[in-house]
Amino acid sequence: MLTNSRHSRTISRRMFVIAGSAAAAAAASTGSTFAADTAKITAIDHTYGNPPPSDGPGLKMINERFDVNYQPTFVPEASYTEKLTAVVASGDIPDIMYSPGDSNFYKWAGQGAFLALDDFIEQYPSFKLVPSLTLNAGRVNGKVYAIPQYYPPYSLTPSIRQDWLDKLGLKMPTSYDELKQVALAFTKQDPSGRGAGKTYGIAMGQTINPSYAMGAWWDPDSWLHKDDQGRLLLGSITDASKERIQFLAELYAEGAVSRDFAVMDWAATNKEFYSGKAGIFIGAPRGMSQDYMAGLLQIDPGARPVPIPPFKAPDGAQEFLATAGFSGLTTFSAKLAKDKDKTKAILDMLDFRRTFYPADQQTPQNKDYDWLMGGEGKGYDVVDGKIVPKDGTTNPQGLAPNEYLVGGTAWVPKPSDLDYSKGYTKEPIMGAWAKALQDMWTQTKGYTNPTIGVQSKTFEDKGTDLTQFLSDEQTKMVAGQRKLDTWDDMVSEWKSRGGEAYIQEINDGLKNMQG
Amino acid sequence: MLKYASRGERIGDAFNYVVLALIAAAMFFPFFYITMISFSSLADFLRSDVIFWPQQWVLDAYRYIFQSHAFRQSLQISIFITIGGTLVNLAFTSTMAYALTRPHFGRRALLLGVIFSMLFSPGLIPSYMVVKELGLINSLWALILPGAISPFNLIVMRQFFLSIPDEVTEAALLDGANEVQIFWKIILPLSKPALAAFALFYAVGHWNSYFSAILYLNDPAKWPIQVVLRQIVILNQPNAALGDTQFMLEHQPPPQTIQMAAIIVATLPILLVYPFLQKHFAKGVMIGSVK
Repeated sequence: MLTNSRHSRTISRRMFVIAGSAAAAAAASTGSTFAADTAKITAIDHTYGNPPPSDGPGLKMINERFDVNYQPTFVPEASYTEKLTAVVASGDIPDIMYSPGDSNFYKWAGQGAFLALDDFIEQYPSFKLVPSLTLNAGRVNGKVYAIPQYYPPYSLTPSIRQDWLDKLGLKMPTSYDELKQVALAFTKQDPSGRGAGKTYGIAMGQTINPSYAMGAWWDPDSWLHKDDQGRLLLGSITDASKERIQFLAELYAEGAVSRDFAVMDWAATNKEFYSGKAGIFIGAPRGMSQDYMAGLLQIDPGARPVPIPPFKAPDGAQEFLATAGFSGLTTFSAKLAKDKDKTKAILDMLDFRRTFYPADQQTPQNKDYDWLMGGEGKGYDVVDGKIVPKDGTTNPQGLAPNEYLVGGTAWVPKPSDLDYSKGYTKEPIMGAWAKALQDMWTQTKGYTNPTIGVQSKTFEDKGTDLTQFLSDEQTKMVAGQRKLDTWDDMVSEWKSRGGEAYIQEINDGLKNMQG
Repeated sequence: MLKYASRGERIGDAFNYVVLALIAAAMFFPFFYITMISFSSLADFLRSDVIFWPQQWVLDAYRYIFQSHAFRQSLQISIFITIGGTLVNLAFTSTMAYALTRPHFGRRALLLGVIFSMLFSPGLIPSYMVVKELGLINSLWALILPGAISPFNLIVMRQFFLSIPDEVTEAALLDGANEVQIFWKIILPLSKPALAAFALFYAVGHWNSYFSAILYLNDPAKWPIQVVLRQIVILNQPNAALGDTQFMLEHQPPPQTIQMAAIIVATLPILLVYPFLQKHFAKGVMIGSVK
């Protein structure tokens, strides 16, 4: 596909005509003209909301500052992979491209579609911040072809209604046994004061989500346990996971877990907690819904959710599984190797976007930050000392350059540099919850999987089925339709379906990467 | 009719009515429920107080959707695609269907080609490359031209044309009409039910146009309503608001009430088309079933 250069040349020539006329139209509408030697830079990225218009003031600012003709395309996230596949297969790889880091990335990198970045990483301060382990995600055949995009290390953390604990005179649980007693008390007694039988313990949805791993030791996604050959194992086939599933099964039998969990989607699971029915759920420092919290507070004005600290694992550790610390990759077209100036312009833009400004530098006085946000009074307003963007994601006007610059958000040097809890301005109780979660994550660093960036061919081919199999069988176990003592049979069947090869490939890959 | 029915038959009829009414209610209820949720406040919804009627009628969800400029623009785009696309579909499908009823050289080969294209439709990448080579990327025509003729509809429409007696066309020929006149003045007027039915099939398809819009249209200003509404609905899911600014949190994921309102807004217009085409439609779906 990628090697069919004759074909792609024909297309790109034709595309040039079209793109040229589009650029002329854009220039006419924004009233700016491009110098003949201005580099045309194409980019493709995914979007969750509605993207800014293709002629917003923010885009014009970028073109002027970097002396480029920048043309980003934003694709709805749900269909991003398909569109990307079509665009790349048709022969013109955009100069800057977001990749979810799926098998396509490794395939295309192997075929030479992307620019090797090893020489540039040291040159740009924001690239240097990416830890070497995280950079592995963009490494193919020893070279770095992509820069990971920032994502906070916090994963979703089990949380509990402190007000219910207080009401029943219970202590914060520190082990699965204690958690079980609490969940049962939430079910059998009357923590809400609305009458017994109106509440229960644990809100859980389909595919056993949240997993209620009270530490990396029990986490289905961790690579922590080792088998007798010294190979790392996927968490969901270990005895620690068995213990967790047993815990859930026992509670389910007592009515202390969402009754219809096997068919409940994420929104329905949220509703169990935010309607004041279930007392145990998850929280995260960022991304929680204040509207939901307002709903819960109307029902239970005293609701006070707090995180449950990780339990002490048999190996002595007391920490949750952290995320990989990134989400998605930024890649650059291999064709850029021929054009040094254009490469520099692109990397300058990316570095600019990824530069982090601590809270005290997020002010109109900071020229770079001010520019990024579109300028005071134009892109944002200062309200009570806070920067409030004028643009929303429902109806953006493209007022600020940061709406157009792709390549991820700022790379945060230390997670503690960011205070998400301040964002919950409408519901301070949720803010306090977020703060507690944040503090907990700052105190316990969390376990990071050593397997980041390790590829498994078997998992690429059969991963969905393998994951689905474990999830289905464990769901049956929780629901009491399959006996827990058939756990080992389940694991051997999973291994024979490809799980064995998956584990072997991950461990081999890990050795190669380290060696 | 009922006057002559026996007691047993009448009981049978009553039973049928009851069962059918229950089935109809089961079909109707989800839509009704969605409508009621869309007019409720989130707190009522979370408390599960909305079963048949909102506690309080609120328009917040609709206000949220309609305040969006992108939404209003996309509505126009969708209306254009639906009307323009359907006209193109009908023009191409009916003319080709008619041509395939006439005795001329190569008809069989052409029909075979049609059936072949029905069985082997191109994948994502070939389609994309064809559209790109035609220079239609980022043009609304990319949503209209590639699927201008649905082979299935073409074959069914041809079958309908064949059911019009040859004597009629022959009489016209004797009167000196040419093929275009026969088609325009005789075949088409006789085929109104078929045209209405296919117009509906095609129009629904265009109204729901989502994936091809994402694939071919790069400029968000050209997105049809289904794409924009979906973006509003899934806006800012947990992954969306990545972390460099705490103020991202001010944009909350829209609650279920807004999602429900979006569903209503996206379905209602095309739903309103049905009653007008209903009488043709009932006849239309049977086209070609009896020759």
